[in-house]
Amino acid sequence: MQEFLESIENSGFSSYLRETPSVLGYSTVLALHTFGMAFLVGLSGVIALRVLGIVPELPLKPLKKLMPIIIIGFWVNAVTGVILTTLAIRSLLANWDFYVKLAAIVVAIVALTKMRHAAFADPNVADDTPASADARRWAKLMLLSWFLAVLGGRLTAYATYIRIQSAAAVAVAAILLVLLANILVRRSRSTAAARRASLATAGSTRKLEARV
Amino acid sequence: MEPFLRYWMRWPSVEHLIYRYLWVWGVCQSLHFVGMALLIGTVGILDLRLLGMAKQFPVAAIKKLIPWGVFGFVLCLATGLLFITGIYANVNIHPYVVLKSDVFLQLKLFFVVLAGVNLLLFYVTGMSKAVDRLEAGEEAPPLAKFFAGASLFLWIAVMYFARLIPSGKFQP
Repeated sequence: MQEFLESIENSGFSSYLRETPSVLGYSTVLALHTFGMAFLVGLSGVIALRVLGIVPELPLKPLKKLMPIIIIGFWVNAVTGVILTTLAIRSLLANWDFYVKLAAIVVAIVALTKMRHAAFADPNVADDTPASADARRWAKLMLLSWFLAVLGGRLTAYATYIRIQSAAAVAVAAILLVLLANILVRRSRSTAAARRASLATAGSTRKLEARV
Repeated sequence: MEPFLRYWMRWPSVEHLIYRYLWVWGVCQSLHFVGMALLIGTVGILDLRLLGMAKQFPVAAIKKLIPWGVFGFVLCLATGLLFITGIYANVNIHPYVVLKSDVFLQLKLFFVVLAGVNLLLFYVTGMSKAVDRLEAGEEAPPLAKFFAGASLFLWIAVMYFARLIPSGKFQP
């Protein structure tokens, strides 16, 4: 097995890409990997923002038209990802962080597909209708998985203890962010409820005055 | 000018942070990528709409995404500044030397500035207000299409040259 992996890593194509001083080699493949990621994660992230109700003004149905660009982004990422893997396949396959990244990508793609089915299932739904609870759940899972995939991808180049420290730092930051978001959401809900209550009181007062 | 840049570009406090906490660099790199995906996702969708793709969107609705794009840009800017001011802790080269000799970093910054100028012109020429009125299915004016195409091209160029920065030649 090791010999097979070595032959892939030392093939003419891999050696050329790894060792050529031209910017059209390794750096360009890496850049294409980044373009794919930006369009795949960026555009699917925009759909998730609408599904989660963070940008409710955005009509839901036309977002489906972004899917072809998202799919192109995915395939650009997949092809360049395989090429980049062949350049250092032995060290990557011995790196647990690489498997975390791959698993996160698989979960993100499954969540994206499920979110798409749940959000765009009914073609007659009005554009300003909130997305279903099912679609929102998949959107949350997709965003989390994309973040893990990006983090895992960046950290593959680091030593294990740095990866563990990074994971701990991100976990602490995520817990703090979730707590902060909960406080903000509760506060905005209570403010909105208070505003609705005052509007209702003002309305009933006006009705009473009109009767008098 | 050189002493001024040499003084201001190297921040010992940032270097200390990177030396002391080894996770800072990797986590900031991840956040830089998250910011980039947000920026490209939001700006890209507006550019594509103006270019005639996904015309079913009223432009005013897409513009509601712009704060997220700005957030992505701020995330990139903050982490990018950390990379420049703290780079000595990572590669033992003064940031001024990197800026002066890495042609890809210079090109990246040049294209970021061009993207900023393009955005400024989009507002100054009145195109921003003109496209605000575009309802679903309506075609954008040719000048707005030009700005949208330029914006997509410039941000893709920024990403490309950013990826080439490590292969740039440093001459201490």
